[in-house]
Order: sequence, then structure tokens, then C-alpha cells
Amino acid sequence: MYLEVKDLIKYYNPNIQLIKKINFSVNKGELISFIGESGCGKTTFLKCLSGLEKINDGQIILNNEVLNDKVTYVKPQKRKVSYIFQDYPLFPHLNLKENITFNLDSIYEKNLSYMLSLTNLENLQFRYPHQLSGGEQQRACIARSLIREPDLLLMDEPFSNLDNSIKESIIDEIYKIIRHTKTTTILVTHDIKDALNISDRILVFKAGIIQQYADPIKLYCEPANCYCAKILGDINQITFDHEVRFIRPEKLKVVDNSDYIVLVEKSYFQGNIYKIKGILENLPCHFFSKKPYPRNSKVCVSFKEKDLIFFDSLCLSYFK
Amino acid sequence: MINLVGNNNFYVKNENKWWILVSILISFFILLPILSVFLKNFFQDGENTFDYIWSTLVLEYSLSTIYLIFLTSFFSLILGIFPAWYISLYKFPLRNFYDIVLFLPLAIPSYIMSFTYSDILSFTGPIQSFLRNELPYIYPFFNKDYLQIEILSILLGFALSPYVYSVSRISFSLIGTAYFNLSRNLGLSSLKIFYKVILPLSRPAILSGLFLVIMEVLNEYGAVKYFGVNTFTTGIFKAWFSFGDVKTSIQLASILLVIVFILLRVEKNSTKKTKFHYKINTKSNSLIDLDKRKLFTAHIICIFPFLFGFVVPFLHILNNSIMAIKTINISHLFELTLNSILISFLSAFLIVLLATFFQYCERLTRSKVTGAINSLISLGYAIPGAVVGLGIIILFTSINYYFDSVYLIGTLFTLVYALVIRFLAVGKSPIKSSLEKHPKSYDETGKILGLNPLGLFSKVFFPINISAMIIAFIITFVDLMKELPITLILRPFNFDTLATQTYEFAIEEMLAKSSVYSLVIILIGASMLIILKKIIYKNNYVS
Repeated sequence: MYLEVKDLIKYYNPNIQLIKKINFSVNKGELISFIGESGCGKTTFLKCLSGLEKINDGQIILNNEVLNDKVTYVKPQKRKVSYIFQDYPLFPHLNLKENITFNLDSIYEKNLSYMLSLTNLENLQFRYPHQLSGGEQQRACIARSLIREPDLLLMDEPFSNLDNSIKESIIDEIYKIIRHTKTTTILVTHDIKDALNISDRILVFKAGIIQQYADPIKLYCEPANCYCAKILGDINQITFDHEVRFIRPEKLKVVDNSDYIVLVEKSYFQGNIYKIKGILENLPCHFFSKKPYPRNSKVCVSFKEKDLIFFDSLCLSYFK
Repeated sequence: MINLVGNNNFYVKNENKWWILVSILISFFILLPILSVFLKNFFQDGENTFDYIWSTLVLEYSLSTIYLIFLTSFFSLILGIFPAWYISLYKFPLRNFYDIVLFLPLAIPSYIMSFTYSDILSFTGPIQSFLRNELPYIYPFFNKDYLQIEILSILLGFALSPYVYSVSRISFSLIGTAYFNLSRNLGLSSLKIFYKVILPLSRPAILSGLFLVIMEVLNEYGAVKYFGVNTFTTGIFKAWFSFGDVKTSIQLASILLVIVFILLRVEKNSTKKTKFHYKINTKSNSLIDLDKRKLFTAHIICIFPFLFGFVVPFLHILNNSIMAIKTINISHLFELTLNSILISFLSAFLIVLLATFFQYCERLTRSKVTGAINSLISLGYAIPGAVVGLGIIILFTSINYYFDSVYLIGTLFTLVYALVIRFLAVGKSPIKSSLEKHPKSYDETGKILGLNPLGLFSKVFFPINISAMIIAFIITFVDLMKELPITLILRPFNFDTLATQTYEFAIEEMLAKSSVYSLVIILIGASMLIILKKIIYKNNYVS
């Protein structure tokens, strides 16, 4: 394994552990998304990997080198780990080129023109940060991180400050750059769509522990628990064979006749499709339809048995 | 059960411990003279005169000090807040001019302001002479003794109003027109907006400006002595120099220290309670056009503090200087100017250096110790110069047995040492606010990109905070040029500055001669303040 995290514990107050003994590994060149609610410890975890925070127990190994354990602590300055922060911290007194080559070893200077062309910043290299758009600043931060050929790239909510109009194109660009440079990357985000779009694997984090670590399709279709199911999108609760089951909205089909009748509350227009919100068996329910339905109309829905998801009984309280 | 190893020394040790250690050592050296004043109370031999002081001097000093503080605060608030309100919110002719010149009263030390106005209002002054000759019927109403505490408070109000003006100006500007427009939309009149929205939001800022005014009044020596008002600072001087009663002066200084600590606590608590986390207008504010009716009011409000706080005393001093210039030894004047510049430059340089070190240390280590140190070293500004001077003398005489340190008293070293203690907080303030503006991610990015703490400072924080350091240097330099009590106590033998010479001539009623020295202080101070305003505008600190 390229990056290995073993039994990692991190806390600021010994009575409240932020990260409770987590284990996972990443292959070289993989892009991993780390998702969870705000304040759950995602950024702290990235800081542990980068060395900005020391761990309290466990071990971090990168490229066969122990970065941090009980006896070893490699300073952030000595780690080959790059970090892209949420607020694009370009130094305001330096132009774009100076920011990218800031404190750069001469052996990496050869990468400058390649990085500038890869990030499409060749014509902006003498501009100062305040003369750049959010997207350009973001790309400059990426160029600054990748020019030093890091063993690991960490990105902390890199898209959260971007407008929706440019966000998608920036994500595409970053994805291409990372793939092109084959850089092992960990992306922290709270936006599940970003994670689903570009990740090889997704790590769902809550209450200090890993809830599930799997590829996007498996995570969506076979969530390990209610939290994973809920965080990845809407999910409906229904009764099947006298037992409680769950199903994604897109797996419900409108039919002429069925035992499952939804009382429509509202139809949301979403461009090429309508998202219908209603009540099924006295519980909220969502499904998709090509046409809208009037309020209080009754719609029959059906599903395939294989699309049903089962969770243990404790999960039910989560959906209440 | 997981065995937590987080309490292992390896994990909890601070990687920047050397910075903390050096910070503790330097701050100890800075705080030592202030501590000495307190400790001396317990080790001073001789008769215990505390009961006598308490029953006689303290009551009188307390009442007159409180009365002076109350009146001066009132006048400086009036003269500071209203112009700031008009200039921050409205667009009108000469607005930019007023914004620059309203800082200029800071260039005139309050003692010079007092000497000048007492000269202007005196029996032989221009006003009484004019009335006597031209309007003899109304002259008797003006033939009065103007050396009254109320007049002094008005003059101090003029001299110190820029402290309130500057903080209000920044605060009003940051609040901006968004809240103003919202309030108008909710149906509030301009007056209601001012006292229901803008004033409450600016209360912490205005209180911090007012706190500076109060500290300046407590520290004032030249003006209060000239007006014959008995405050704690004059009491300390009187007990020490007139009666040779060192113990009484130490005890008065200790009482003053306690009062200052209480005031500091009150200010901190009230600022904490009323600190609003309102959304600052990041975009430039659009100023509101003033109608003709309000235009007149705006001009009156803005010109009043500038006219009486700067123009009138300046013209009077200029006139006196022209008359007295022939009696002045120019080479002596030049020598004193160089002395003032030397002392101010050296002290301001050291202050900026130390303030930057302490602030960077706090940012770097993020430790409670460095945070506490930064609060403690700011105490110097809240302590009157006389107490700091006394502290230095007590310290150096106390350790004389070990170091022969008494010979250092009355040298440039002790003078600069005292000035650094007293004015460190002045230099710290702009550097602190500038450093606070930069996100934590700058430090982290620097670390990730391979910089050690010194590299991070030299390559990132020094270049991006250089303007703040220059601002800190100028503000401190201007304050130091005006400084009187510490220089009077600790200056080397036969060493004068422009401030001490001004004071000495004035106290001997040679006001015309003192004006020449005052004029040099004012000209240097005013030009530095104009440069300062230009830098502030360039950095877009306020709209």
C-alpha cells in the first residue's frame, strides 16, 4: 500500500476523541474522497497527514516511510505532501509565478512551464492574486502543489468557494491534472456530488470512525448503514413482506396499479425531470417522474425486490 | 480500552518552545520596572504614611482626576464621533481634506495646547487685548482666570479627540452603508439610525478610543501642572521632587496602578460583552449625498475640531515663533531637534522590533503563555510615564548592590528602556491588527512548502506586514516626540529634547520662546501624520 493509516487517534481533549482509531490504506495514484458533516474532523485528519497536527496514537506510513507514530514525527517541511487549502492562500505580495515557485527546490523548476500550461495559467503568471478570479487562484494553488511532485496531494474543500457556474469545469480540470500527473490524492468535501463524480473510492466519516470505505457505486447501492445511505442522497422507507426496507427514489417507478400509493405533496421541476415529494405509508417519500402531479393526487409506485436495502433495526431511529 | 499515549511528552511538547522561552525572558525584562513599584511598597523602610495619604491626598487627587477624566471624555467623544459619522457615511465637498486634517490635533501635545490657549486667553493675549481696546463694554465678562479644570478638559478634549475620531471612523466605515440602508428601509430617521444602530455597533471601538483618552489624561503632566490641577501624576511628581518623599510617591503610583488595572479590566469586560460579530462590508461603500441643509452642519462639525484643535494653536505658535526666533539659539534648537529625533527614532525602532517579535511569537506558537505575555506588555501604555520612570529608578537602585546599576540612571539606556515599556502597546496595535487579517492557512502553506519559522517570517509575514510596521513606527514616533514625563525624570544630565525645553520655557512663563520648540514638534508630527494617512489610504484600511 502507498499510504497506510493504522489505528490513528487524534484529540485535543483526551476525553473527547475527534478521530478514534481509524485504519485505511490508499493505492498509488488513487483519488480518495473523505466525506462527512462539518466539524467531524475531516480537516484535522488532513492536517495529521500533512504534519500540521501531531497524532496522539497510531501510525501514518507514506511510500514506505513512517511519517508519524509513537517515536517518529516528520515535520511538515520535510514531508513530500502538498496541501490545497479551502481559502486558496496565495501570498498577496507575490505574483502568480512567484507564488507557484515559492521556496521551490531548483530540481523542480523544470516543471514550471508544464504546470503553467497544464493549469492554463501561462498568460497570467505576472498577475497578483487580487487580479485573479476564484478559479484561477484555485488552479494556481494546484500548480503550486503539483510542481514539487508530491507523494501525496491533500485538498481541503477546494470547491466550496466556487460559483456553481464554474465549479463543474474546475472539477473536470483538476481531475484531468491529477490523473495526468498520477498524483495520489485525498479530497475532503461535504458535497457528495463532487465525491461521486471524481473519486476512485469514498471514505465516509462520522463520530470519529470510518463508516464505510468503498467505491462510489458500491457505496451508493450498498450503503453500510443508515448514515451512509442518507449522506449519499434521499432514501425512502417502505414495508415489504411485513419488514422495513429502504429504497432510492430513482428505483421507484410510476405504475398504473400497485399496493404502494403515494399521496403527492409537491412536484419539483428539475429541468428534464420532476422530483415528486409525497407521503407513503405515513412517511415522507421521493421519486422521479417525467410529468408533474397535482397536490393531493394519488400515484401508484412499484420497485424491484433486488433494489431494496436492509438495515438493522437500530437504523430506524436515525430516519425518525 | 485504547491505551492513549497522547500525554507522552513527545506529543505534547511545543515545537516552538524556544520562541516561548525568549518571549518570557524579554517580557520579564519589560515588566520588571512596573513590578518593582509594587514590590517596593513591601520593602520600603521608614514611617508608614499610607493613612496620611489616604485621608488627605488620595481623596483630593481622586476627585479632581475623576472630574477631569469625565469632562475630557465627554468633549473628546463629541469632537470625535460626530465628524467621523459624517465623513464615513456622507459625500460632501472637502470630505477628504477633513479626513486628513482631523488627525492633526494629535501632532500638538496636550501640554503645548494648554500653554498656547492659556496664552491666547490671558490678560495680555490677543482676545482680551482686542476686547479691552475695541469693545470695552463687554470686556469685563471676558476678564477671567481661565486656568480652570473645565477649560483644561475642553483643551484636552480637542487634543485627544483624534483617538475617538480614528476608531469611530474605522468602525463606521466597516459597518458601512448596508446597515444604514437597511435601517432606512425599516423606517428609521437618520438620528435614530445613529443612536439605535450605528452607535451600539460601534460601542466596542468607541470604548477602546475612550480608554486611550482616559489613559492619556491619567498620564498627563505638563498641562495639569500648568493649570494647577492635582491629579495622581502631578501628586507623584510633587511628592517626589518637591517634598523628597519617595515613599509617598511610590504609594501614590501603586494606587494609580491599581486604578489602571481596574480600568483595563472594565474596558476588556465591556468590550467583550459588546463585541458584535457583524458582517463587515467588504465592498467599497457608496457614500450618501448630503442635502444643502445638512451640508452646513457637516462643515461646522468637521471644521470645529480642526480649527480649535490645530489651526488656532498652530497659528498662535507660528506667530509667537516668528516674534521669538531672533532670541533663539538656532544651533541649540537644531541640537534639541536631533536629540528628540534620535530618542524617538531609536525607541520607535526597538518598539516595532519587539512588538513584531511578540505578535509573531503568539501567532507562531498559539500558546496561552505568549497570549498572556502580549496582554501584559500592553499594560505599559496604561501606566503613567511618571510611574514607569519611578519604576526604572527603583529597579536600578535596588539591584545596585549586584550590578553597580545606579550609574545607568540618567543615561540614554534607561530613557529608551522606559520609553519602550511605556509605548510598546502603541506600536503593537497596528501590527496585531495586520497580522490578524492574514488567514492561518498562510502559516500552514508556508510550512507545507518547507519554511521554518524564521523563513516564514522573512519570506511571507515581513513583506506582507511591512506597511503595518511602518504605520506602527510613525504612530510611535509621533507619540515619542511629544513625550514629557519620562524624559523629564530619566534624561541624562544636560540632555534636553524639544518637549522638555518647551515645558521648561512655558513653566517659566516664557511662552513665546517655548513656541519655537513647540512648532518644530508640531511640524514633524503633522508631516508624519500626513504620511501615515497616505499609507493608510494606499492600504485601503478604510473607505
